[in-house]
Amino acid sequence: MIEARNLHKRFGPKVTAVEDVSFTAEDGVITGLLGPNGAGKTTTMRMLYTLVRPDRGTALVDGVDVVQRPQEARRALGVLPDARGLYPRLTAREHARYYGELHGLSGAALDRRVDELLDLLDMRDIADRRTEGFSQGERVKVAMARALVHGPRNVLLDEPTNGLDVMSTRAVRTLLRRLRDEGRCVVFSSHVMQEVAALCDRIVVVAHGRVVADGTPDALRASTGKDSLEEAFVATIGTDQGLMQ
Amino acid sequence: MTRLSFTVFRKELRDHMRDRRSLLTALMWPLVGPAVFLVMFNMLASWYRQDRPLELPVVGREHAPSLMAFLERYGTKLEDAPEDYEERIRAGSLDAVLLVPDDYAESYTAGRTAKVQLVVDSSRQSARQSVLRARRLLEEYSLMLGTQRLYARGIAPELAIPVRVQEADLATPERTAAGMLNMVPLFLVIAAFAGGMQVASDTMAGERERGSLEPLLLNPAPRGAVVTGKWLATVAMALASVVITLAAYLLVVRRVPLEDLGVKARFDAPAALGMAAAVLPLTLAASAVQMWVSTYARSFKEAQTYLSLLMVVPMLPGMVLALSPLQPKLWMFAVPVLGQELLAGEVMRGEPLGALPFLIAGASSVGLALLALTVTTRLLTQERIVFGRS
Repeated sequence: MIEARNLHKRFGPKVTAVEDVSFTAEDGVITGLLGPNGAGKTTTMRMLYTLVRPDRGTALVDGVDVVQRPQEARRALGVLPDARGLYPRLTAREHARYYGELHGLSGAALDRRVDELLDLLDMRDIADRRTEGFSQGERVKVAMARALVHGPRNVLLDEPTNGLDVMSTRAVRTLLRRLRDEGRCVVFSSHVMQEVAALCDRIVVVAHGRVVADGTPDALRASTGKDSLEEAFVATIGTDQGLMQ
Repeated sequence: MTRLSFTVFRKELRDHMRDRRSLLTALMWPLVGPAVFLVMFNMLASWYRQDRPLELPVVGREHAPSLMAFLERYGTKLEDAPEDYEERIRAGSLDAVLLVPDDYAESYTAGRTAKVQLVVDSSRQSARQSVLRARRLLEEYSLMLGTQRLYARGIAPELAIPVRVQEADLATPERTAAGMLNMVPLFLVIAAFAGGMQVASDTMAGERERGSLEPLLLNPAPRGAVVTGKWLATVAMALASVVITLAAYLLVVRRVPLEDLGVKARFDAPAALGMAAAVLPLTLAASAVQMWVSTYARSFKEAQTYLSLLMVVPMLPGMVLALSPLQPKLWMFAVPVLGQELLAGEVMRGEPLGALPFLIAGASSVGLALLALTVTTRLLTQERIVFGRS
């Protein structure tokens, strides 16, 4: 479970990236962070996964404060960050193993876990190839494998389907549903409304660094009085800029 | 912490071992110094080798029997010059040829100045020594004859020589060779920097540039462990580079006629160990500083540029030391780079040192390494460093 509490972050004296963001992402639920480009999604995610220190407020990951005990919080998190660079000279399997070892796994347990992931992500055929020259879809799979190698209870994904083709996007969606069905807490950010609508059990709409709406798709429709989700979004944000694909 | 560092270390080494091109550059660079050393020393030795008799081809030997006798008495090997001697001198297979004209004997008996010609190519460095020897002998002969003639006429020869120039040449082959030997410490220290350069730029600046730094820092591993692992990989490459350089020097020295040049230098196993003890600790500091610099760089290329500039640091004191060795004082050993170059130089010259200078130099390197690593670790907690500056 992830709880964001009044997160606030400024860069320099002028730029306020995140004004005030609070929400709770429950276990066994896919929570979508939706907002136009520049709304503060990535900065919010970075505060959740401890690489950016909030100026005010904090977040709890399974009750662990990300500001006070970042290292412990990272243990409970699996993250697909905005930057998902790979080592071109290492194979896909070596990527997963490296991250597994950094999480303290070793020996037979690590071998088993890596094999499980290779099956889960359907990447047996590319497992022992160097990642140089991988397609976007294959690269995301490797990045996913290393993010999930330690079997985290909470999974954070920053724009996971960016730049993917239809097949890869479907694969990612299937994976996220599966993670949810295993009872994990899944949070992902996106600026694509269709993406969020297709996947999310709960939607947190962010605009100008604030949460402007928070609830199930049905609740959102009901509160705005609109029939379609699309119109509901436009109504909450006040503009449809950047939300449509 | 230790285990995590080792995990990072192993990954970085494996990663870089697969990068054949950069590995080759890192390991070829140390061989430059010894190769230059080999060529230069053999050239020097062939120029200066004095025990070799002077070989002087002559045209018109029969015209000047007494001159020929004089030259032979002073150890010159005379022979008839080949037809194409001018070509050969230009090509460098002959150093000089003496021409005795037909009218030599006539002028000589008449008491006039008899002319001989020494044919040389003054642009050829390697012929310089032979030409000088030939000319000295000829002048010596002329002086001897003149003196005899003056005596025969009852005149003190000193009257004809109001001033005599005596040359004191300081550029003995020993000094030139010693100057070159003084480059050895410099090349060892450069190897300590060159070896880790590639890894240092790739492992910090490169890691961020390709977008793998952010995911890496998402692991629960402490920043210090990550930095330590990367540093150890850099150090390993730098160590390899220094050891290769040293081994190459040892091999080369066996093929170089140091004794011919009268150079006093120790290049045996204990001396090699001493030099290793002097220079190897520097790799700790050099690698750590390279990581620090690389963390600031925006890209791999930028890091490479900065690190190339950083290599000038060992060159400055190294050059100065090679040209004019200074009397080491204890504090100098505490200055990283300078200390190692001094130590290696002293060991090579066979000076007794004791353990203290080694300890001082080692401790200062470890101190600098710790400082650089601490700063680098702290940099990795800064958002502008992790996410790149724009």
